[in-house]
Amino acid sequence: MPLAASAIYFLNLRGDVLINRLYRDDVGGNMVDAFRVHIMQTKELGTCPVRQIGGCSFFYMRISNVYIVIVVSSNANVACAFKFVVEAVTLFKSYFGGSFDEDAIRNNFVLIYELLDEIMDFGYPQNLSPEILKLYITQEGVRSPFSSKTADKPVPNATLQVTGAVGWRREGLVYKKNEVFLDIVESVNLLMSSKGSVLRCDVTGKILMKCFLSGMPDLKLGLNDKIGLEKESQLKSRPAKSGKTIELDDVTFHQCVNLTRFNSEKTVSFVPPDGEFELMKYRITEGVNLPFRVLPTIKELGRTRMEVNVKVKSVFGAKMFALGVVIKIPVPKQTAKTSFQVTSGKAKYSPSIDCLVWKIRKFPGQTEPTLSAEVELISTITEKKSWTRPPIQMEFQVPMFTASGLRVRFLKVWEKSGYNTVEWVRYITKAGSYEVRC
Amino acid sequence: MAPPAQSHRSPSPSQPSGKGEVSDLKTQLRQLAGSRAPGTDDTKRELFKKVISYMTIGIDVSSVFSEMVMCSATSDIVLKKMCYLYVGNYAKHNPDLALLTINFLQRDCKDEDPMIRGLALRSLCSLGVANLVEYLVGPLGNGLKDGNSYVRMVAAVGVLKLYHLSASTCLDADFPPLLKQLMLKDKDAQVVANCLTSLQEIWSLEASTSEEAARERETLLSKPVVYYFLNRMKEFSEWAQCIVLELVSKYVPVDSEEIFDIMNLLEDRLHHANGAVVLATIKVFLHMTLSMTDVHQQVYERIKAPLLTLVSSGSPEQSYAVLSHLHLLVMRAPYIFSSDYKHFYCQYNEPFYVKKLKLDMLTAVANESNTYEIVTELCEYVANVDIPMARESIRAVGKIALQQYDVNAIVDRLLQFLEMEKEHVTAETLVLVKDLLRKYPQWSHDCIAVVGNISSKNVQEPKAKAALIWMLGEYAQDMQDSPYILEGLVENWDEENSAEVRLHLLTAVMKCFLRRAPETQKALGDALAAGVADFHQDVHDRALLYYRLLKYDVSVAERIVNPPKQAVSVFADTQSSEMKDRIFDEFNSLSVVYQKPSYMFTDKEHRGPFAFSEELGSLSIGTEPSDGAVAAQRVEANDKDLLLGTSEKEESHGYGNNGSAYNAPSYDASTTAGASQGHFDLVSIDQPSTLHPPSSFAIDDLLGLGMPAAPSSAPPALLLNAKATIDPNAFQQKWRQLPVSLSQETSIDPQGVAGMTNPQALPQHMQGHSINCIASGGQAPNFKFFFFAQKAEGSSAYLVECVINSSSCKVQLKIKTDDQATSQAFSELFQSALSKFGST
Repeated sequence: MPLAASAIYFLNLRGDVLINRLYRDDVGGNMVDAFRVHIMQTKELGTCPVRQIGGCSFFYMRISNVYIVIVVSSNANVACAFKFVVEAVTLFKSYFGGSFDEDAIRNNFVLIYELLDEIMDFGYPQNLSPEILKLYITQEGVRSPFSSKTADKPVPNATLQVTGAVGWRREGLVYKKNEVFLDIVESVNLLMSSKGSVLRCDVTGKILMKCFLSGMPDLKLGLNDKIGLEKESQLKSRPAKSGKTIELDDVTFHQCVNLTRFNSEKTVSFVPPDGEFELMKYRITEGVNLPFRVLPTIKELGRTRMEVNVKVKSVFGAKMFALGVVIKIPVPKQTAKTSFQVTSGKAKYSPSIDCLVWKIRKFPGQTEPTLSAEVELISTITEKKSWTRPPIQMEFQVPMFTASGLRVRFLKVWEKSGYNTVEWVRYITKAGSYEVRC
Repeated sequence: MAPPAQSHRSPSPSQPSGKGEVSDLKTQLRQLAGSRAPGTDDTKRELFKKVISYMTIGIDVSSVFSEMVMCSATSDIVLKKMCYLYVGNYAKHNPDLALLTINFLQRDCKDEDPMIRGLALRSLCSLGVANLVEYLVGPLGNGLKDGNSYVRMVAAVGVLKLYHLSASTCLDADFPPLLKQLMLKDKDAQVVANCLTSLQEIWSLEASTSEEAARERETLLSKPVVYYFLNRMKEFSEWAQCIVLELVSKYVPVDSEEIFDIMNLLEDRLHHANGAVVLATIKVFLHMTLSMTDVHQQVYERIKAPLLTLVSSGSPEQSYAVLSHLHLLVMRAPYIFSSDYKHFYCQYNEPFYVKKLKLDMLTAVANESNTYEIVTELCEYVANVDIPMARESIRAVGKIALQQYDVNAIVDRLLQFLEMEKEHVTAETLVLVKDLLRKYPQWSHDCIAVVGNISSKNVQEPKAKAALIWMLGEYAQDMQDSPYILEGLVENWDEENSAEVRLHLLTAVMKCFLRRAPETQKALGDALAAGVADFHQDVHDRALLYYRLLKYDVSVAERIVNPPKQAVSVFADTQSSEMKDRIFDEFNSLSVVYQKPSYMFTDKEHRGPFAFSEELGSLSIGTEPSDGAVAAQRVEANDKDLLLGTSEKEESHGYGNNGSAYNAPSYDASTTAGASQGHFDLVSIDQPSTLHPPSSFAIDDLLGLGMPAAPSSAPPALLLNAKATIDPNAFQQKWRQLPVSLSQETSIDPQGVAGMTNPQALPQHMQGHSINCIASGGQAPNFKFFFFAQKAEGSSAYLVECVINSSSCKVQLKIKTDDQATSQAFSELFQSALSKFGST
């Protein structure tokens, strides 16, 4: 089933319409009222992102302080609908310069209408590539790539690009300095039981690139993953170099990557889009190096006092640092008074989230700072239920460290003019949902 | 590009209509219209922006239509776009004014700039005014032949817009064949994709009336066309790929070699970053290998990793969509994720809808090897602060317990929940323990010991209370205090609001009495007295039934109320396997999320001529917001009733299970009714005389209790009134009121199925047998009809819902009638009429 959207609405949190665009006549004009009455003003809000009201289905997503609602009357493709919204938001962000919220929409509503016209026609998604759309819809107004009047720098072969065979890159780009930036960004998801055993652990990683390259360059990326290395050792008929090889559970690629060549030769080769993009995503469940261990002991001393001791151990190299470490230790709602002792960083009690928040700006490897706190509770008569402990949550960033152990082995740039390029590679590991039960 | 300040102040449509501002705008625009002074365009832009921002927030600015059109003579493309947007919004409601715009739009369609040609053509097609379609034909024809692919791309969709406005104009102008040509030879992939979507929509809508269109629709699925698309796959954008893959999934390859070729070609799509493309590819794989069991299993193995990636990446909404699909797959092949169960552990911050689906997944993948871990994890959630989550988790534990042979550990866990002393946990657990005992009576000793300690005062929820009462009655033998707890509950009869609880209480007291008569006698007397005086019909009836049973013969009462029970081996599945297959056919669509086939929820547009939905359409979402709520509720209620709501089915199933122990199938009302004036010394009730014979006979008859073998009421030959009429409203009302008196599955002659291509054929055929079609709808292979018939003598009416699956030749019938006695006869008549369909 294709996605044939009948309408798309942008609403603020109060339910005011910021943008409405009807694509088909098969739904009533006031579907937005139906959405307000049946979803926004009820407890339904947020309980399910797909709802049926009358004969129509509503898909909605909240992005910062805006609801984006798609209305369909047919048996539409759900995955496609949500992906479309996500992509559209990415597109808007790239136009607004990063932020997407109510103010940005109000300030750019004409532009949004223009874009909505181009990215969807009669409910069918068309072209959402910012690269191409930016050729003829610009923030300052519209510039036609065909128009002779504005043709200060004529774009060769513009027609082809608008509807796009090589949708992601235009020809004729020139840079004085040819540079490629490659970031491997991993987020570690962990769920650890109170006894310290790992219940669930995986890494979702992505490779982000920023390319400032002239012409139509061909890039080839080599990683220390198992499939790639095995293939190589077969080709060169010599055993793979010792060292860690990483087994990727699954990989997805940006549309610029030649998937056929990946399948046959196991190399990631591509003609990159200009500027920033996400080259690939991967997932790993085996052999994850956890950067931190959290060892909590929480004792309830009678009905009004608690003792909290948390030790956090960094298990990456001693020369590395983690940045922006935040550890949130939950305490009961009726917390009255807290006192702390920390060996590193700062801690405070945050009543709005019922947590002790312990922040360590710079956290060296192979150290184990501790927090010990005493918590006094208001004794309540009504609250006889025992406190159910939410998990301890942790945020961090560890530069130059990958939880999966993935490394870039080579990044080759080939262009027919044979220029030299400068390549920059960075690694960073962040916390995804890093939870330790206590 | 700051919007006018007004929009900040009055963003809500409920706020002042801005009439003054609109008329200001009007005069300003008028002044500008003729002006050619430099800088005019900038002023115009500001004004246009104001107009558009008013339009967006719901202020009616249609009054400036003519001024806007006058100002539109400009070379500024931004102005043009705003003007097109404005015109597109108001043209529908002002067809006369729309005529004004035709001229400048047509002129723009010939502009030298392809961008403007495309924009103008798109706007022209989007006007949506039926009388202006003649002006569309020319520009569209030129657009399809335009040298620029942008214009062709717009024109391809434009044809579809024209079709929706006026199908005949579109077909007369021979646009579909043109589109087909374009689709098969255009260099630009987006043009090709748009041609495909337009053609698919046009031909499938036409197919019901025109054989040629049906044939054309088939050719889209022919080998050359499908291969053409497959070969160009990489040129398409990710969205177009979704559409092409959907087409491919319907293609039927000739042999297995072809299947492997296609799968090899598409395998790399599983690495695509767009989840929709991945799901579409998976659909192709699954559908193509359906007949090859081994390969089908391999496909499951192959798609596992990409699916798990999709779950963990992207927004929660996307995960939700993917998890719904995973759930569907896991129901078909439970083993595929059984070793990956940890992926479905819930994260603390995930939204509830994602967690709920993950719980469903955990329940579905549980098997001997992983049950322990999964149940341990679920127990963690039970302690969760989030109450709905805790409840769902308990239910999940219960479901796993009902699936497994070794429930030892799980029962212990469940009993521990009861000791947590949290009201919602206790309530949910009680319901589960009850179900568990019905399946595994051998656990009764362990459970009863714990359940006996629960004070009924701590249990408030009706379902839980009913479950507790059921156990008190069922295991009265083993629970020391049972009669006294029940007595306490009977004393508070008046404070019990839930009829369900009162019903259970009656039965429980009765059961307890049959086992421990001396202790329960008083409670039973009180309960029956309270029951007979109860205002709730069912409670009243059940109390009366028990009373008379006891009076007639206590041993008969025992046989009926408390027969030896067999353990339930399998709880009824709420969805038929046919339904599940149908949902599987519609993989990668809303059906999967809603867990029902599309014909149950899509709108009239896609249901074909469906009389009810027309009616629903007019009810739909009232014009005023305040009305909207009521109207839409009605819509929902109607939908539920008419469209075979699964939830309704579930309820009746559930109740059937619960209540089965209490039904009195062999009770013959007439035997006791005669002696009903007698005195029953065990329980002394002052019987209100009004309750007696005539009325109770009526009730008995109504319930069909006295039915078996009542020869007089079933005449062998049922004659139908050939001129029976009913209007859809009355039908709908009746359908809602009456209970289903007969529900049957039968099959239809394959020849008849062939006749189904013409949707009018069956109704016409049935009319020949005095059975009139009220409404019909559906798309191949599933059709649905509502029929109506009337008895020749008397006014008894028969209402029939008939669902025909043309691929499996299966027919599901639901007959409702106000004359129960003849429903069987009518059903035979109906089926014989149906079986003749196609053979005549």
